[in-house]
Parts: sequence; C-alpha cells; structure tokens
Amino acid sequence: MLEVQGVEGGYGSVQILNGVSLKVGRGQIAALLGGNGTGKSTLLRTISGLIKPWRGTISLDGERIDGRRPDLIVRRGLVQVTQGKEAYPAMTVEENLRLGGYVRNDRAALRRNLERVYEYFPVLKNRRNQLAATLSGGQLQMLCIGRGLMSEPKMILLDEPSAALAPQVVLDIFRIINRICRDGMTLLLVEQNVRMALLLAEYAYVIRDGVIHIEGPAEALIKDDNVRLSYLGGTVADRDHGLTMRP
Amino acid sequence: MQYFIDLVIVGLSIGMVYGLVALSISFVYSGLDIVHFAHGEIYMVGAFIGVVLFQRLGLNYPLLIVASMILTGVVGVVIERLFYRRLTQGGGGYTVAGMGMIICGFGMSIVLQNVAFLIWGAKPLPFPVSFGMPIEMGDLTLPRSYLWIVSAALVLMIVLHLFLKKTRLGLSVRAVAHNKEIAFLMGINVPLMISVIFGIGCALAAAAGVLIGPINYVQVLMGLGILIKAFAAAVVGGFGNLPGAVLGGLLVGVTESLGAGYVSGSYKDIYAFLLLIIVLMVKPSGILGVEAKVKA
Repeated sequence: MLEVQGVEGGYGSVQILNGVSLKVGRGQIAALLGGNGTGKSTLLRTISGLIKPWRGTISLDGERIDGRRPDLIVRRGLVQVTQGKEAYPAMTVEENLRLGGYVRNDRAALRRNLERVYEYFPVLKNRRNQLAATLSGGQLQMLCIGRGLMSEPKMILLDEPSAALAPQVVLDIFRIINRICRDGMTLLLVEQNVRMALLLAEYAYVIRDGVIHIEGPAEALIKDDNVRLSYLGGTVADRDHGLTMRP
Repeated sequence: MQYFIDLVIVGLSIGMVYGLVALSISFVYSGLDIVHFAHGEIYMVGAFIGVVLFQRLGLNYPLLIVASMILTGVVGVVIERLFYRRLTQGGGGYTVAGMGMIICGFGMSIVLQNVAFLIWGAKPLPFPVSFGMPIEMGDLTLPRSYLWIVSAALVLMIVLHLFLKKTRLGLSVRAVAHNKEIAFLMGINVPLMISVIFGIGCALAAAAGVLIGPINYVQVLMGLGILIKAFAAAVVGGFGNLPGAVLGGLLVGVTESLGAGYVSGSYKDIYAFLLLIIVLMVKPSGILGVEAKVKA
C-alpha cells in the first residue's frame, strides 16, 4: 500500500534522510524503530507531505504522493496521527474529532465515524464537551488517534503513541491500536519503545543515521542479538516480562 | 447627567468602530501571527470603496457595508498573496519574530495611501448617507448614524463569533490559527485558509470604514489615527484576544469622549494612551489577555 523508495531529505541544507526505502502492505502493521535523532520524525513528516523529499519516491496504492500538499495526501487516505500533545487544547474533545473529519463533508459519515471513535474510546464520549486541555496524557493520545480515524483513512502513520505515558496506559493504548488494526487498518507505527512496538507489529524497520539499518519480521527482530543489545537493553528478566505481554 | 449620557453614547459608538478595527487586527494577529501595520489603510480603502459604491450605484446602507467588505476582502487577499506570502514563508513561517513582515506592513501602508491619493485625490470626500431624523427618547436625542454603527458592529461581531464556533470553516480557521502544521495534517488546505483569514480581517476593517464614513469625511490619511487607536484598544483588551479587542475599543472610545467632554477637547487623542498606560501598568497582558499565549 505504502512504498517509500530511496528517499533523501532534510531541513534547509541539512540532510537527514540518506536514502530510506520501506514498504507496508495492505492490512499490515509495520513498525519504524529508532532512537532520538535517527530520522524517524523527518521520514514521517516527509511521507505526510510536511516537508518535500529531495530525491526518491513515495507512493500510496501505486500513485506518487511525494511532494504533494499534506491536505491532498490526507484526502487520499493517508493520515498522520500526531502525538497527544498536539491536540488543540482550546477546543473541546468533539471539536478536535470534527477537525479530524474535516475532509469528510458528509454529515452522516461524520456522525458514524464519531460513534466509531467513541466506541473505541468510551472515555472520550464522557468528556466530549470538555476542553482538550483538561485531559490526561493518555486521554490526549486517545483523542489524537480518534482524530486520525475520523476521516476514514486507508492507512495511518502513528507517531510515538507511547511518548511520555505510564507503562500501564501505554499497554491500554496499544491494545486499542491492535483492535483498530484487526478491524482492517494499515499501520506504520513509529516508536522509541521498541519492545512494545515489536509486540504489536508484524514487520519492523530499524532506522539509524537516516537509513534503514535492520529490517525483518518482528518475531525475528525480537530474537536478533543486535536489536536486543542496542534497543531492548535491560536484564533478561525485563525482556521476558516484555515477551509475556504479547497480546 | 444629560451631558454625561450623551458623551457615553458618542463614546460607545466611536468605541464600536475602534473595537471593530481592533478586532480585525487581533483576528489577523491571532490567525497568522502577523502584526499588520497597514490595517488602517485597509480601513481607508474600505471607506473609499463604500463612498464610490454609494455615489455610482446608490446602494442602500446595509448593502453598501456588505459590498465594501467583500471588495476590500478581495483586495486584502490579493495583497497578502502577492506581497506578504513570500515573506511569511521565507522567514520560517508565520512568526511574530518576522521583522520583515512588520516593515513590509509599514511600506504597504505608504503604498496604499499613495494609490488612494492617485485614484481619489487629497480632498476629503463627503459620505452623505441620509439616516433620517434623530430618535428622541425623553430629553435624549440619538442620531441614527450612531445607532447604525452600534447595531451593525454588534451584528458583525456576533456573526464572526458564530462563524468561528459553529461552522466547519470557522473550526478550521481556529485550527490554522493555533498550529498550521497540525491543521495541514487534518487535511485542511492551509494556504487557502490563510487567505480566508486575512480576507476576513480586511473585510471587518472595511466595515468599520464604511460605518465611520457618514460621521467623518472619507480621506486618504484617515487610516493613521484609527490604526493607533485600534492598537491601543487591542492592547488594552489583551492583544490577540477577540472579545478583549471589542472591550478595549469601547473603553478607549468612552474614555476619549469623556475626557474630551469634561477635561479638554483639544487633547482628545491623549486620553486613549493614558488609558493604555494605566492598563499596562496594572495588567501588562491587557484586561482579558493571558500571560502565556493561548490561541484559537
């Protein structure tokens, strides 16, 4: 569904992406892993059109989307879900969600999608008329995921849903993400929390210095010594705890 | 007492005009982070367009306001697209730090004054709309032009409020005002929305120009005074805060009118700034302003 071919890019004259290629098939959950400053966010912003790639191609369902305006990419069904802190604080929960459905100009569809989001995240329904500024970190993350679903995208790019959240909350959110994907969503998950991401994803890419450094099925990466050492860290007990959490 | 009430009525109606211009400046600022120094000239252009439409087509007054708002809005959109867009995009987006934008605003104000001078000349034009006899309420005489100003400005403010709170387009305007990048990710056509915001800001200023026209003459330099007063009003209310701009406008108008009536008319322009200084000493962020900038 999404195909990134040899993408190079960056900000101003600073090159950050040095030729990234990855592929996400329809209905697949792929993870893009990497630490701070490896080019994760830059790649995400390049795919969603906020910055234009210098070289390489990005295509969605066989159609080129590189260099297009971000709102047109959203209209084609590829939506970037922002981190929780990017919800609009001075708007109510429902206004935030309605914004997510901005490209759907059809009231019936909007109401249907709203119900669907409230079904995934009942807590948002209870707080629908509250300002987003009053929500907790976990609820904000849920709000942003819900907001991303409002336009009925074909595929979502999920930007670090675990950022700055307590482990229990992260687990809850990953369960819901898992459910959303089983309902037929294609997902590229961008994460620093490698363990959680590998539990959810089927296939994973590890990015380093702006290139894909390691890639493979998640099962294999969990066992890969390189990944273990560089990204999973911790004690053996820790690791086992991580594995038993597999949903 | 009678004198006092008269002064307050005059102050409130002039204050509504200040408030409307302050609102339009604040709206552009909160939406685009542009402090637009040519806004007084937009107000002037709006007033001239009103006069011309009145003389040529003889439209009735409400239609005049709407027509001038639309035409001036279009003028604003063209100016923004041609001149401002490059600056705001070149300098890392729509940031207040954009000094270039401020200087460009001053330049545009001079350009617009001279263009208006070439088209309409230096002589003040009368704007003889007839509103009919003043309304008598007890021993109070209320010129209808003041009534028009207050009611038209109120209607415009209410419409703006409903537009921002209740419509899909208004929601997206607020989204763009708060964060352009996130708005892009929502699928909002941000470049188009920037034009919409600037156009609305210019249309509001034009309405103020058409409203003040019948009381004062319409002339090329009318934008200078109003810009300063409207800035004072916007800062008194809390810069970037929309209800604050209207409140600030009313306060400035009433202060000015009372000062001129009781102290001295020749110092008329001072009172607004006295008020501004006092407010800034007591609450530097303005009456309705907040310390940290929270928008949308």
